[in-house]
Amino acid sequence: MISFELQITRPGFSLDVAGEFGEGITSIFGPSGAGKTTLLNCLSGLVRPTSGFIEVNGNQIYSEASNVWIEPEKRRFGMVYQEGVLFPHLTVKQNIEFGWKLIPHSDRHLNPLEITEILGLYDLQSRMPEELSGGERQRVAISRAIALSPKLLLLDEPLASLDVPSKTSIINYLRRVHDEFNIPMIYVSHSVSEVLSLASSAMLIKDGKGKGFGRPADLLLAASVNGSGLDMFENIMEGVVAGSAEHLTKVRVAQIEIAVRKQNKKVGDKVLLSVGANQLIITPEEPKLLSARNVLKGCVKEIWSNNGEALAEVDIGSKIMVELTEASVKDLGIVVGQEVFLVFKSSSVKVFDA
Amino acid sequence: MMESDISIIVLSLQIALIATAVTVPVAMLVALLLSRKNFRGRFVLDVFVSLPLALPPVVIGYVLLWIVGTNSWLGQLEKLLFGSTIAFTWIAAALAAGVVSLPLIVRSFTVALDGVDPRLEAAARGLGAGPLRVFFAVTLPLAYRGVIAGSLLGFVRALSEFGATIVVAGNIPGQTQTVSSAIFTRISSGDMDAAWRLAFVSIALAVVTLGVHNWLLRRAPGRMSSNSGIRQ
Repeated sequence: MISFELQITRPGFSLDVAGEFGEGITSIFGPSGAGKTTLLNCLSGLVRPTSGFIEVNGNQIYSEASNVWIEPEKRRFGMVYQEGVLFPHLTVKQNIEFGWKLIPHSDRHLNPLEITEILGLYDLQSRMPEELSGGERQRVAISRAIALSPKLLLLDEPLASLDVPSKTSIINYLRRVHDEFNIPMIYVSHSVSEVLSLASSAMLIKDGKGKGFGRPADLLLAASVNGSGLDMFENIMEGVVAGSAEHLTKVRVAQIEIAVRKQNKKVGDKVLLSVGANQLIITPEEPKLLSARNVLKGCVKEIWSNNGEALAEVDIGSKIMVELTEASVKDLGIVVGQEVFLVFKSSSVKVFDA
Repeated sequence: MMESDISIIVLSLQIALIATAVTVPVAMLVALLLSRKNFRGRFVLDVFVSLPLALPPVVIGYVLLWIVGTNSWLGQLEKLLFGSTIAFTWIAAALAAGVVSLPLIVRSFTVALDGVDPRLEAAARGLGAGPLRVFFAVTLPLAYRGVIAGSLLGFVRALSEFGATIVVAGNIPGQTQTVSSAIFTRISSGDMDAAWRLAFVSIALAVVTLGVHNWLLRRAPGRMSSNSGIRQ
């Protein structure tokens, strides 16, 4: 359990956040420049805030009022950075054992070899960091942090510089790490999919301020309604599996049904659907003979436009954001209050467990 | 080569070695401050340690003589400790050599330290390493080529020192007479063959040390290139 209240005031930047994170994976998300990394650096001890406190399991590790400041090397928080930051002069094994060797024997709860095996690095132990792929480096970085038997694992956009297959595999490894070692994690990200697929709770930060704390889905729904400038605008919907046909699964969202790729789920299972605003096609007339499996009738509630870009909010029983251009709004003659159809492929919908 | 030549060369090497050995840790502290810390007075420190590079060596020697000389409080302290001041002893020669080589070593070390990604040091601290261990386990192993190269450069400069040395340490055969001051004496007295012998030794030492220096820097491992997993 970690609780904190942190303020930083510097010219051009301010941070004012408070929170209380328990077990499990907590995600801190928000647009870039919001102060996510600074918050993480305050927790790890690399940045000293202007005022506030940090408490871990009831012990103060920082308090401006009582002038307590524990140095980063004494905090034992595992840190994983965006780009690995492995020691280039040490082998994989030496990297992983770097922190482990520095802690007292009685605190060595985890065996580096076991960690190496769980993260699939057994055969790479004698390699140098420069001989590894991006995904492998990140696995070494995670192992190095876990070998410390940390009280808390801090991850700063650990997947941001990886390709999609490596991302998926690291997400899986992080889930295993969480299941096997039961280390609470704080996971900084600006990616909706990462937050939804990993975190059990989430905190939204914007302009250096905490904007909310709760279940990731609730926060993401709130954030997408407010348009919080995430990397890509994702429409998040909560639904229930209604049935599966040969290649498709139908998910009931409010009054409508949405076709998604076939899922290995039972009727009645709760799921989260995520569709990028740029994956949707809008049309004033009901289209016939389409390969796309989703054609949903709705009503235009609002249209925003800026610099040639436009965003339309369409109510199909659930509010959906559609990205289009000012030119197409004009050409199609789309106005507020108009009846329209939304078209998207079943494969454009990402499905997550609720 | 005469026996007197050999003893002059050995004395020169001894003075330059001691000067470098004392200057290197000082230079490392200054370089760490300049490369890693942002503090008030950083600019002043930078100018102060670079000063010997710009000043005429004879001025450095004169300032040093004034500092260690009999009438200064330091001179009084030296008298108390050694029975005399260190002026016109081999210690003064090493001091002069160290002072003129300091800016060169500091500059090389600063470049070497700037090539080490501070995030690696931050990562090491997060893994439980205190500042001293971070330096010896991460910073130094990653900067060692630049550190050796800088020390060599400082050593060559210390070896070739003349102007400051002759003012603060004099040109006493067997005590403070280095290769450079011996060449000066021999040229002055018209003993050209003897001057050439020592000049060749100087040239040979300089060529070898600079060769090793350049070889080390060329082989410096790309300075945190993309293959460390860190994008610049």
